[in-house]
Amino acid sequence: MSAVRQSCARFLSIFRKQRLDREFDDEARAHIAFATEDYMRRGMPLAQAQRFARVKFGSVEAAKDAERDSRGLPWLEGFFYDLRFAVRALQRDRGFTFAAIAMLALAIGLNVTVFTVMNAMLFRGFPLVKANDRLLYMQERFPSGLCCISYADFETWRSQARSFSGMAFVGGRPIVLADSNGGNRTDTFATTVTANTFQLLGVQPVAGRDFLPADDAPGARPVAILGYRFWESRFAKRADIAGQTIYIDNAPATVVGVMPEGFDFTEQLNLWLPLAHPPNLNQRGPAFLPGGHLAFGRLRDGVTVEEARTELAAISRRLEDTFPAANRGVAPRVDTWSQFFVGPDAPVVYGSLWVAAWFVLLIACANMANLTLARTVGRRHEFSTKVALGASRWRMVSQILGESLTLATVAGMLGWWIAKWSVRTWAVATASSFQILDYTVDSGTLAYLVAISVGAAALISVAPIGSVLQLRAGKGNTHGVTQDRHGNRIGAVLIAGQMALAIVLLSGAGVLARALLNIVGAKTGVRDPQNILIGSLRLPSWKYSTAAARLDYFNRLETELEAIPGVRQESLSSTIPVNSGSLRTLEVEGRPPAPGGGESAPFLTVASDYFRVMGAPALSGRVFDGRDRSGGFPVAIVNQSFATRFWPGGQALGKRLRATDRNAPGEWRTVVGVVPNIMQGDPTRQQFKPLVYLPFHQGSPQSAWFLLRTGVPPDRVAPVVRAEVQKLDRSVPLEDFGTLKASFGFQRDRMDLEHAELGKNAAVAPIFAGIALLLAGIGLYAVIAHRISQRTNEIGVRMAIGAAAQDIRGMVFRDGMIPVVMGMILGLAASLAVNRVLQSQLVGVSPHDPATLAGATAILVLVALLACHIPARRATKVDPAVALRHD
Amino acid sequence: MPDSKLDLLQGTLDLMVLQTLDVLGPLHGYGIARRIEQLSENEVLLNQGTIYASLVRLQQRGWIAAQWGVSDNNRKAKFYSITRAGKRRMKDDRTQWERLAAAMGRILAVSSDPGKP
Repeated sequence: MSAVRQSCARFLSIFRKQRLDREFDDEARAHIAFATEDYMRRGMPLAQAQRFARVKFGSVEAAKDAERDSRGLPWLEGFFYDLRFAVRALQRDRGFTFAAIAMLALAIGLNVTVFTVMNAMLFRGFPLVKANDRLLYMQERFPSGLCCISYADFETWRSQARSFSGMAFVGGRPIVLADSNGGNRTDTFATTVTANTFQLLGVQPVAGRDFLPADDAPGARPVAILGYRFWESRFAKRADIAGQTIYIDNAPATVVGVMPEGFDFTEQLNLWLPLAHPPNLNQRGPAFLPGGHLAFGRLRDGVTVEEARTELAAISRRLEDTFPAANRGVAPRVDTWSQFFVGPDAPVVYGSLWVAAWFVLLIACANMANLTLARTVGRRHEFSTKVALGASRWRMVSQILGESLTLATVAGMLGWWIAKWSVRTWAVATASSFQILDYTVDSGTLAYLVAISVGAAALISVAPIGSVLQLRAGKGNTHGVTQDRHGNRIGAVLIAGQMALAIVLLSGAGVLARALLNIVGAKTGVRDPQNILIGSLRLPSWKYSTAAARLDYFNRLETELEAIPGVRQESLSSTIPVNSGSLRTLEVEGRPPAPGGGESAPFLTVASDYFRVMGAPALSGRVFDGRDRSGGFPVAIVNQSFATRFWPGGQALGKRLRATDRNAPGEWRTVVGVVPNIMQGDPTRQQFKPLVYLPFHQGSPQSAWFLLRTGVPPDRVAPVVRAEVQKLDRSVPLEDFGTLKASFGFQRDRMDLEHAELGKNAAVAPIFAGIALLLAGIGLYAVIAHRISQRTNEIGVRMAIGAAAQDIRGMVFRDGMIPVVMGMILGLAASLAVNRVLQSQLVGVSPHDPATLAGATAILVLVALLACHIPARRATKVDPAVALRHD
Repeated sequence: MPDSKLDLLQGTLDLMVLQTLDVLGPLHGYGIARRIEQLSENEVLLNQGTIYASLVRLQQRGWIAAQWGVSDNNRKAKFYSITRAGKRRMKDDRTQWERLAAAMGRILAVSSDPGKP
């Protein structure tokens, strides 16, 4: 007890130093006065009594020191003193301090940003959801490659799987929403869920109630739970929202609750409806329904992900045996949150980004270590004087630590600000309504920041502390050549390390960037896409309820668009090039169906003139024209890939094929034309897939794209097009309006899971590499410049005895480039190993792409030469007369 | 001269101070130092100033309390007094010390070295 009390008292006394010192002075004065009086009482004269009293007391200062030591914490006070000293020393050396803090703050900020992003991508999961890491997301893999999961199979899983404490099913459907009076109709999308969904997620509504099992029963009274954003925008957050009636698809439904702010599941949509499983959901086999169905379950305590996977696989095998027709070859896909929503390679993608951020931080630390080392060597005089005066080694170590900690603290605070800003920027720049991420910066993030800042301070201090510990009293006053050599050797090692890290980053960023370019710059088969204007239109279902009404709208649209001056050709299609098209199973006449559900190919519907707009005239046969209307002869056009795949060497024209959706065969269609390949259905754009085109007017499209090839720059036509579309019907919103070329950029939402994050990665990695290169360049420059200033004397002598400027320059370059080259060799070897990790992300480029490695090397050498050039030029300008006097 | 002073074991001076305050009641620093000098016949204190390190330590541990007051001859001084915890501590330390001294006495009594008493 008393020991704790004493520690507290000691600690507190540090902050009352002045008052306690004053009190001690008073006490000592009183003491001496008492003693003097005592001596006088014994008959001494005043002067002698005073002298005796003082002698008896001893040294007041010594007593005061002893008193201070036993009252406070001398080591801590010493450290505070060192911190104050550090701040003063750093204030004197402004340039150093500014550069050091800026570098470290940037590196720390970057690191914390990547940490936050990685955390969000790999671990956080949905905002507000309890224990995200215990949730698994499930779909089925159908042999035809179709989506997603059959409800009947889900029910079997739910009733048989022991690994889960609960399982829920999530789907979605387009709905027409209207106010209680039937007005304000809008087309929107609703997420449909089983009633246990929110309870399984552990999220409560903020108003009203959760779904009840009764809401989910077939024929139950329709109810809805609103998203917070929707409650705000459409209902102005009215408090009595629970119990209000809204109209969904012309039928009244009761709003029973509102979910909390920031809660989105599984996409950013307006409202949730009970699944109320309609009978058609009970069919087994591929369930291609809009909205992307999935099931999710919460693992029972103690059950591992692998155990759950094994169990579901076993259940699925039993289903295969029981329902061979529908379930043959159907396997469950069981993913964690990050595997499902970010991609199977998320740990690789974001792990490597994190490693890259660490590389940048290490480079910054190496720079700081080099700068601090240079300063310490420059301050040898100060340190050796201190040693001579009896300062302990510990005090000098503490002084260096004090400086590093001061720098790291300021840099950490700036880094925090940088991180908050860049996380926000990242979140905005990469926002997608299909990917809900939790980028909260919280106390855990702060703890991480503090830890890496302190770690950085420690890293920075190691080299200078080593050099100070080598000091001996009195030795530093002479110019210790050995000392310089030692410092230089550490410096060279640090430079080599920086260069190695930089080249690993450069080559990694290089192959990622090339992969991105290979996607974005891939051949699409479209001529001059920069001259094609596109826009997407979705007809309100409540307004255009029949196929005739919809086709009528599109006919009128075509007439209007065609008439716009500057428009050469126009057409309509179900989707635009590079997008996926809708994948359907198909049957080719005279070809036995492949085992396990047949072939599949993307189907597109296109109007006449489509291939003229694309600049891809038919290779044989004809393209669609006015004959191909509804009720007309069922025809199809295939692309070259399709023709060679299904009728190799033969004549495609006149052959027949049909779509076989959900085991229900469609009508046979005769192939009337073969067209050149246009990119479609391969997210990485490396392969021309077999495609089937159907006539636009033989379908009943709810939505479509228009495509206009213009004879003048598209931006001159664009305003007229927008005006015409609005004039035709204001209730049809025009979306994604722009040139086709612009739409060819990287879009996450149309990539496959493996490459979905490539866009972010390939954009961020070069930034990291650039920063790393810049920091390494600055570091090299600083070290060379410092070494030159150290050797001014020597250079002066050399020049005085006849060395040419060229010799001096050669000397400087040799000095700088040797560690650079060593680091480069090391770095190249490391890249060969490290880049292999990126393999799964790459498209059309090898992880060891020689051109990229060569490019990275060239850039690094260039930067290093530049970093050496500036100090070298300065060295050759040295005036021997001045240099010889330099000390 | 200083060489002839006794080297004090850690805590010995603390016990002396506690004992002094227990016997004489509240006392200022000089009074305590003087009393210890007199009773130890100048064998203990290097100089009177050293008493203060001990006083601050005892205060922080809560064994003595200090208060500014006025002396008989109207001089402002800090007066120290022993606390209840201090009394307990003193009793413990005292027992400890007596046992140690007794043990030392017994061991030194059978010393074979004739050069030392």
